[in-house]
Amino acid sequence: MTAIAEPVTLTVSAVSMRFGGVQALDDVSFSARGGEVLGVMGPNGAGKTTLFNIISGVQRPTAGTVRLGEVRLTGRPVDRVAALGVTRTFQTPVMFWGLNVRESVCIALTACEFGGSYPPRADRALLPSGLGMPARRRADTALRARADALLERAGLTHMGDRPTESLAFGEERLLELTRALAVDPRVLLLDEPLSGLNPDEVGEVLRLIRGARAGGIAVLLVEHAVGELLSVADRVVVLDYGRTIAEGAPADVAANPAVIDAYIGDELE
Amino acid sequence: MRRLSTAYAPVAAVIVAVIAVLVWFLPSYYTGLLTLIGIYALVTVGLNLFMGYAGQVSLGQAAFVGIGAYTSAVLSVKLHITPWLGAIAGALAAALVAFALSFIVLRLRENLLALATLALGIVINVVFNEWDFIGGSSGFKGIPGFAIGSFVFDQRAYAILAWVLVGFGIWFAGNLVQSTYGRALVAVSAGELGAQALGVNSEGLRRQAFVLSAVYAGIAGAIYASSFTYIDPTSFGFLLSVNFVLMSVIGGLRSLWGAVIGAAIVVALGQILQTVIPLVLPGARGDFQSFFLGVILVVMLILMPRGLTSRFANSGRA
Amino acid sequence: MAALWQYVLGGVVDGAIFALVAAGFVLIYQVTGIINLAQGEFVMIGGMTAAALTTGGMPVVAAAAIAVVVAAAVGGLTYVLAIRPARGATPLTLLFITLGVDVALRGLALFVWGTNPYSLPPFSSGSAIHVFGGAMPPQSLWVLGTDALVFAALYVFFRHTKMGTAVRAAVANPPIASTFGIPLRTFAFGSFVVAAAIGGLGGVVVTPIPGVEYDAGLTYGLAGFVAAVLGGIDSLPGALLGGFTLGIVEHVAAGLLSPGWDQGIGFFILLLVLVIRPRGLLGRAARRA
Repeated sequence: MTAIAEPVTLTVSAVSMRFGGVQALDDVSFSARGGEVLGVMGPNGAGKTTLFNIISGVQRPTAGTVRLGEVRLTGRPVDRVAALGVTRTFQTPVMFWGLNVRESVCIALTACEFGGSYPPRADRALLPSGLGMPARRRADTALRARADALLERAGLTHMGDRPTESLAFGEERLLELTRALAVDPRVLLLDEPLSGLNPDEVGEVLRLIRGARAGGIAVLLVEHAVGELLSVADRVVVLDYGRTIAEGAPADVAANPAVIDAYIGDELE
Repeated sequence: MRRLSTAYAPVAAVIVAVIAVLVWFLPSYYTGLLTLIGIYALVTVGLNLFMGYAGQVSLGQAAFVGIGAYTSAVLSVKLHITPWLGAIAGALAAALVAFALSFIVLRLRENLLALATLALGIVINVVFNEWDFIGGSSGFKGIPGFAIGSFVFDQRAYAILAWVLVGFGIWFAGNLVQSTYGRALVAVSAGELGAQALGVNSEGLRRQAFVLSAVYAGIAGAIYASSFTYIDPTSFGFLLSVNFVLMSVIGGLRSLWGAVIGAAIVVALGQILQTVIPLVLPGARGDFQSFFLGVILVVMLILMPRGLTSRFANSGRA
Repeated sequence: MAALWQYVLGGVVDGAIFALVAAGFVLIYQVTGIINLAQGEFVMIGGMTAAALTTGGMPVVAAAAIAVVVAAAVGGLTYVLAIRPARGATPLTLLFITLGVDVALRGLALFVWGTNPYSLPPFSSGSAIHVFGGAMPPQSLWVLGTDALVFAALYVFFRHTKMGTAVRAAVANPPIASTFGIPLRTFAFGSFVVAAAIGGLGGVVVTPIPGVEYDAGLTYGLAGFVAAVLGGIDSLPGALLGGFTLGIVEHVAAGLLSPGWDQGIGFFILLLVLVIRPRGLLGRAARRA
């Protein structure tokens, strides 16, 4: 994974989301620069996952826009948003049952192979693959090699041949994260990547997050483990009832009375 | 066993060789049966790519067989082109129709997709029935057979042709499912949102699989037309589409050899029962296989741990 | 214009049967979430049983009663043998299972009754009924009457009985309903039995008009199914509306274009509905599958 030449900024402008009479998000604005980790905090139901759904294209906002650099993301389908450089992980990791670990990473790599969107025109992937063309076979072999390299980077080498159905929860999370990093994203949305992990795995994920940041990726991190979030984030934005109630450096946010109130009086470390 | 089942090309070659030898000894009735199994197996291989690997549903595949059959038949008769080209034209026609329809239909999922393809299959069949240019309900006859030079294909040659095509079909599909492209098909069926989040245009991939399955069906249809020299709309209706689904499921959805086995079972079971049942129950007539096939389908689906195409699907979503 | 009206009348008669088949679909879908592609076979079984028994000399009333019971029993058996054992199956798998049941039942009918068409004598004698210059066979009144009876009974059941309310509660929220001790599986079983009985009854009253063969179930099933989706697959009033709408549209199309187009138009409409408005005319928003 090479460092990105020009880190880009993700800009969320006045995003609102209303469905079924509920205002899930209300005029939310912030930005995240390439090369920083932006923590997204807030009590349950504050709208964090909705925010991620809107940024990644799973849902369309009722109002507002999301931009990556100069490019508008809102209104585009999920795979187009991903092709433009925004990828994400999910609260429950999405596994490709039927594939093994290495093949799962290859999916991510092959999407990149053709400029970020897959599949290309039939004669560039479907036909060469079906006809067993040597160039295509060599390309597939190269993909597998790159996948192995990425797995090694994430400490998952020994798992390459394991079917994804057999993975433990922590391994699923690591795989999903490795897949996401494999597409060389500019923006990485992580939805509670630490929940359910043992301390070793938490350390592994944080290491990968720091690596992503060093590579110039803008990492948006939703996480209930507030301590870990504050330790890795450069800035934090706090949502409550769909509104931003604080934004700034972790230490400042942690001490912010409105934030503490939102978490019902819990002291934040 | 594992490695044998993925060594598609050599095994396919062996099968074709065996068939080529068999046809010299079999009575022509059984040769015809073999041809039919081959034609249906070809369709089912394509269908398995779409249903088993890409994780979709088609209850209207017979329509594409019909499109291939009618296109090849009509062009050969009216424009006097050779059926070899007719078969290519049939495949192209089926592909075009599938491509066009995919924009309407592939946005739907599971149940709705099943029903939509069911509806499409019937509507296309009605078109066959009402279009007088292609014979309407009386069908289309006088379809020229395949020929190489002065040798006009006989029943044996059609059997070999059908199975050579099955061999190629499996070889192509085998390459595909073992490639990264094939893995992407599975990924889309197993975790669509996760694949999309990586930049995979799942609808585009499914479209390609749909069109590919139509190509298989179209070629099969062209062979069908020439080998029977007469076709009519009843050959390509809902009942045939259901049969294809039976062949797919019974043989194993996510399996290419399964397509061949399923086709063989569905076609052969009918023949076996027709011979056996009158011995047990004298005076009994009719096609009994429907009952047994239906029961087999139900039993298999009940026993499948997660059922059909969702077998490998992970519903993990945000 | 007179011809058009005649087509409409013909469509009303067909529509009445479609509505009954659709009611069975909707009933099963509402209670179990399953799309039952075998529904038409219950109609066929009802008609065939009654016809075969009367041909054998039994009085029509007895034959009809037995036919309905047989159909209901087949429905119950379908649930017990094919649906209930499929634990945890996805909706699509269940649809395919009903497809298998449909194939099996048709094969069984072929085995039991062969390919010969059967028929029933009309229930009341008399000449055609004249409505504004068009004609309907007198049996149509029986069909329409059965429609009224069945739909009224369903309405009363769901709105004004305790069990009906319990069923509606179970449909609205199965997990909560089961914590209240509402027997979901029994209701599912019941829905299959009742839907099959309705279908069988429909088969009995409609058979005097066109006769019945072993593969009639396919036509009724597919048409009734289109009617159900058109009206809204989770709406009983929708089944009524969809049935008659489809019947009339099919007959008018067959009359104006050509006979073969009746099914074609029907399925074309189905496609339109699925793509544009999957919940149909009167259905609520899509049920979470």
